[in-house]
Amino acid sequence: MSLSRNRFYWYLSLACLVGYGWLALVGRLEPEQVAVQYDVCLIRHFLHFPCPSCGSTRSVLSLLHGDIAGGLYWNPLGLLIFAALLVAPFWIGYDKLLKKDTLFQFFNLFENTLRRKWVAIPAIALILLNWIWNIYKNV
Amino acid sequence: MDAQNVDMFLMANSKYLEGHQMFQIRERLLTMDEPNWRMLQFMQFDDPVIILIVSLVTGPLAVDRFMLGDIGLGVVKLITCGGFGIWMLIDWVMIMGITRRKNTEKLMMAIY
Repeated sequence: MSLSRNRFYWYLSLACLVGYGWLALVGRLEPEQVAVQYDVCLIRHFLHFPCPSCGSTRSVLSLLHGDIAGGLYWNPLGLLIFAALLVAPFWIGYDKLLKKDTLFQFFNLFENTLRRKWVAIPAIALILLNWIWNIYKNV
Repeated sequence: MDAQNVDMFLMANSKYLEGHQMFQIRERLLTMDEPNWRMLQFMQFDDPVIILIVSLVTGPLAVDRFMLGDIGLGVVKLITCGGFGIWMLIDWVMIMGITRRKNTEKLMMAIY
């Protein structure tokens, strides 16, 4: 039913490449300038209000500059992306080298955990709260 | 099961399933016994058109992926603004096929 192992590693590697490519493109900018120069969010572009993940790039850039408070301010989801971008290449490399599937197992565990109501409902509530905060901040 | 009931079931659900798997599904359904057949009648499939509409309306929020049970991919799509909009556009084209594939997999798991 869900993603196959090989396809998962392929998608994740591609996502990491796109993520690092994006950071290489916007890395020279200050976090505040990113949204001005590159408006990639279709919700903000057409509906003129931010989506739940708007500010993630600025958050990751702030974290790269060592500004944890800034990272949290722009979008707490940026911390998740920052951690994923940091860990994923090493984890993929480890699994590929040792022919294991620990990351795939972790992903399945993560999916199954999120399927549980007592995890899913607070997670949705947090995303909605974050979205409201994003709209309030107008990131 | 008798061929008429199987054909009725397939006709009623053909829009939810992949066309190229129909023959294989029909062959299998013909060999099914009564209790399993009854269970199959209550099976719910995702409507590809509904998922497409959800995808068109809430693309960057990944609600379409969550509805299909792709929780992990949904989270990734959500926190990347619909994969910078590119993934969202790809899903607009692919999501009906993905829905039919998932429905077919669900049916296959139930009948095999």
